[in-house]
Amino acid sequence: MSVATWRGSCAAAFARVTSASLGPYQTAAIRIGLSFTWLFFLVREWFNSQELYGPDAPWSWELARRLIADNHAFTVLVWSGAGWWFKLVYLFAMVSALLFMLGWRTRTTSVLYMIGVLSLQNRSVFVGDGGDNVLHLMAIYTVFTRCGEVWSLDARRAARRGAAARRGAAGRGAEGRSAAARGAAGDPRRDVTGIVLWAVCGAGLLAATLLADPALTWTDHGPVPGVGWAAALWAVWLLHGVWWLVRVRGAALAGGQVRAVLAAFGHLLHNAALLVIMGEVCLIYGAAGWYKIQGSLWQDGTALYYPLHLDYFSPWPALSHALAASGVVVLLLSYGTVAAQAAFPFTLLNRRVKNVLLVLMMFEHLGIAVLLGLPFFSLVMIFVDAVFLPTSWLRRGGELVAGRARWVAERVPVGVPGQRGVGGADADAGANAGTGAASDAGPDPGRGPGRDRVRAG
Amino acid sequence: MDTDDGREREAEAGNAAPVALSRPARWIVALGALAVALAAGTHLLIMFLHVAPPNTVSKQHAATIGDYVLPEYEQNWKFFAPNPLQQNIAVQVRAQVTRPDGEVQVTPWTDLSAQDGAAILHNPLPSHAQQNQLRRAWDFYGNTHDDRGRSTGLRGDLAEDYLRRLAVSRLNLDRDGTRLHRVQLRSVTTSVAPPAWAGQQPPAKPVHRELDWWRVTPSDLGVVRSW
Repeated sequence: MSVATWRGSCAAAFARVTSASLGPYQTAAIRIGLSFTWLFFLVREWFNSQELYGPDAPWSWELARRLIADNHAFTVLVWSGAGWWFKLVYLFAMVSALLFMLGWRTRTTSVLYMIGVLSLQNRSVFVGDGGDNVLHLMAIYTVFTRCGEVWSLDARRAARRGAAARRGAAGRGAEGRSAAARGAAGDPRRDVTGIVLWAVCGAGLLAATLLADPALTWTDHGPVPGVGWAAALWAVWLLHGVWWLVRVRGAALAGGQVRAVLAAFGHLLHNAALLVIMGEVCLIYGAAGWYKIQGSLWQDGTALYYPLHLDYFSPWPALSHALAASGVVVLLLSYGTVAAQAAFPFTLLNRRVKNVLLVLMMFEHLGIAVLLGLPFFSLVMIFVDAVFLPTSWLRRGGELVAGRARWVAERVPVGVPGQRGVGGADADAGANAGTGAASDAGPDPGRGPGRDRVRAG
Repeated sequence: MDTDDGREREAEAGNAAPVALSRPARWIVALGALAVALAAGTHLLIMFLHVAPPNTVSKQHAATIGDYVLPEYEQNWKFFAPNPLQQNIAVQVRAQVTRPDGEVQVTPWTDLSAQDGAAILHNPLPSHAQQNQLRRAWDFYGNTHDDRGRSTGLRGDLAEDYLRRLAVSRLNLDRDGTRLHRVQLRSVTTSVAPPAWAGQQPPAKPVHRELDWWRVTPSDLGVVRSW
């Protein structure tokens, strides 16, 4: 490669990472998948939550405090040993996961989601497994991404605003102009929800900074050496404020230069975090394969026989034992696992090989979910694998899901739920129709079929 | 690494930067890009050194790496490696109690791992409370104690308190007038029989490891009951 083309491709790469947030569908898949898995886990453990994370758990609040005084992990649960505080934090973790999954105010909820994940996991580190470990890391990394660009309530709101602006631009006269104004300025200045959310987060952070015990640190024990959690969280909060200000006064600040620079930094951070997420997935597979190659049982191809006979990892012993009964099957699965894991990072160099291996990996994790009884771990791995899926596949998958959702929505009557199945309501509707006084019968009886007719026509 | 998204997004990317950057702005973005690239590269390098087997570089910089990685980026991807566990470890507990009639008794051994196993059997969604809690607590104890059962530091003391509370939580003996005084734990390690086709020796007899009796404290009795 000549020097000129090398410089050219460097410049092109630089332009690309500073002018666009790459992989919007991939990061959205990670956001939705991981927050769904976390929420699903929290719901599943609802009745065990006291035993796992509660103040009187076997790993008690006092024990957790003693360990955290030593390792300085971040968790808001050590601030108070009260029962209500634990319940509040558990609910907070669930709600933040739900909002993050839906993509509501994604940049804010990504931080809240991370606080929920870290708080519960660091409170009881000894009940987690590999799946929790991946969730933990990814919760930190997704804070830096713009993972709400697609498949989110944020994206829907942005699309509506854009449509309103276009309608305004196309319209004539005073009405068109006012619609245009609504579309253009319907954003930051009048974004009451956003401003309130930001203020509430600031108030919460202020209270935490003043009252928390152990105190939030400024210069150590944070996400990276030299930066405490107080510094990190206040920095994120301030950046949100600055970004809002720049959006309001964007054009006036140095001819839009400040806004453009900040936008470039947003893209940069997103792309760097995406790279780190991809690198982390490669590390997981690479290390898992690398260590296995050193094991004598993986070398002689009997390794997989053993987990299939461990009581803690065989919820379906008959199935496990049947699979483990064949030496050749165990050999193929053992060798296949090592080969696929060790090879994974290198298959990224070839798009087609990578896609084949990704599908294989996902099926292997489905198998692990059932056979080894590790459904949450497997879900996490499947969703982090999704960061390598082609955009076209993800979009098709998204359309498929949306199509299903529409299909269901068209068949579910809109209105007061439960009216249909209730005999009294049906009888009333019938009576009304009979007497010709249908207008006050309520919205539902006629509306479902009506919608269908409209769509059919 | 390719995200597979280049082609479709190019049209949309145009609207991100409507303003042409001035020279100082371009410098700021360039320096920022350098800083972000360095930070991401450093992070990935440290993660690699943390995950890889101890080597020349990671041993030299062990303190720096540990400082960066702990506590939030700690990770371990040795799933069933280098070799998978070849034993079923059953953790069992017995207790010294005073019955309502005043008689002091030592209960028979209760197999806590068997309780976990029963909860996991035919369960598509096993709970962390059954699959990880006791299993990892026992590992934690083993990793923080020497062969004679002496704690090797703060974590060893924590592990003892943890196991004792876990035992009280699972036994649930102190009701109906029965008073719980002391508990004792042991592990019974049974090797998985090697596969028939491997032609290896059948497994040796189960290995027992018995811990000392531990006095139950009043605060232990406040632990959440699991059954």
